[in-house]
Amino acid sequence: MRLELHKIHITGLAFADKTYTSGGTLFINKDKAEAVIAEDKRFAKVELDLACPGESTRIIPVKDVIEPRVKIGRNSYFPGFFAPMEKAGSGETLVLDGAAVVTCGPIVAFQEGFIDMSGPGAPYTPFSQTFNVVLYVEPVENLEKHLYEAALREAGLKLAVYLAKCSAENEWKADEIQVFEKGNSFEETQKYPDLPKIVYVCMNITQGLLHDTYLYANDLKPALPTLLHPNEVLDGAMVSGNCVSACDKNTTWHHLHNPIVQALYARHGKEINFMGMIPTQESTVMDGKLRAAAMNLSIAQQLGADGAIISEEGYGNPDTDLCLNARFFENAGIKAVLVSDESAGTDGASQSLADATPELDAFISTGNVNEMIEVPAMKKVIGCKEAISLLSGGAEESLRSDGSMFVELQSVIASTAEIGFNKLGCEWI
Amino acid sequence: MTREIERVAGIPVVQIATIVPIMLTVGTNRIVPGVAIPHPTGNPALGPEGDKEVRRELLLRSFKAMTTPITEQTIFEK
Repeated sequence: MRLELHKIHITGLAFADKTYTSGGTLFINKDKAEAVIAEDKRFAKVELDLACPGESTRIIPVKDVIEPRVKIGRNSYFPGFFAPMEKAGSGETLVLDGAAVVTCGPIVAFQEGFIDMSGPGAPYTPFSQTFNVVLYVEPVENLEKHLYEAALREAGLKLAVYLAKCSAENEWKADEIQVFEKGNSFEETQKYPDLPKIVYVCMNITQGLLHDTYLYANDLKPALPTLLHPNEVLDGAMVSGNCVSACDKNTTWHHLHNPIVQALYARHGKEINFMGMIPTQESTVMDGKLRAAAMNLSIAQQLGADGAIISEEGYGNPDTDLCLNARFFENAGIKAVLVSDESAGTDGASQSLADATPELDAFISTGNVNEMIEVPAMKKVIGCKEAISLLSGGAEESLRSDGSMFVELQSVIASTAEIGFNKLGCEWI
Repeated sequence: MTREIERVAGIPVVQIATIVPIMLTVGTNRIVPGVAIPHPTGNPALGPEGDKEVRRELLLRSFKAMTTPITEQTIFEK
């Protein structure tokens, strides 16, 4: 399977009379783009704003972040959402690299977060470095929360596809073409018989009540673990269901860029034989957790895996899924390396995972979600600055009268993302 | 909280929660597995009658757990 990402490097944003790219700037016809989103009658208000790296801007509360993309010649993306139900992962994709659609609006659920485009809060999130087209919406009165979540999720995807589609319809030239190519597991094992076979198990929040993840537009919650070619992940098969703890939610942008998939891909054929990704569940019932762990192992065993990288999404009860995966894999003779953040309390002294097991002996930490940080006021706030009082990691007293905030790290979007893309870690001392 | 009530007040505690491994990890002594994280003590999917049955069974099992002498962490399955 061969995937080509044709990347236009975006280094600026501006509103204009049409939507296109030129000289690294994404120009956007604000009225037309807003009208595309306002077609959805679930919204009472739709407004676009821009936020660029280095600006004194805070975006709050943020639900999801999506990279603008479209299949070249097809004018569509995200199968089942804004593309026909078809296989992702091959052909040519136009990517507005460096740009991002950020969805924002009155709070859907408490697990949303904020992005500071400058200041001490900025380095904690990758989205202080992206050129953000912020989609602010307000739902119509009395719209049920799950419908509002669905509307907002779809609106973000729609705008991302729209921006890329308009760019593709005008003159453009790729600054970079990135190629991902790999055969099926059987072919690759014949090519590299001596390399260790590695699978990646990507755990996803699948807990209902606005904590969901979508694979080919299908809710993963009632599904079973399955196997994907890494190209499918990197080409829009996975979509975030928004309302997971801000710090360790895998946004749709994260799935498109999945750093573990990319790192394993880069080592494929050299150090390892990368067998593929197993997207799996974090259930709310014990049997669901046991079933997912058993089936993750079953798929890995069918592939003859020697080792597994396993990443968590969220924290708390999913720590049990993490431990079960470690136990099942290690006891079956497959080495497992686990990636997760820690909730170790504001002083870092508490037990950092809710569960523990002796088989969890190879662990990569992506940071302590409870760490307290102080962020100054920003000149501009997109959204609602008071929302911090309702967010995980925030409290009534978080927002001070001068606009500065004293908050837990977990209120910053993707600050401890468990598939990587953050700058934090922990060392054993 | 479960451990502290037992330790300080000497009152036996039965914990009903969904994720049994976490209760084992934190040192709960009398464990009754709950239904699901969003609804540990019932099952709304079974309708009002079925839900009531589930709740009653859990409660009766918890009473049994509370009055059963134990020497180690014990899971009281259905």
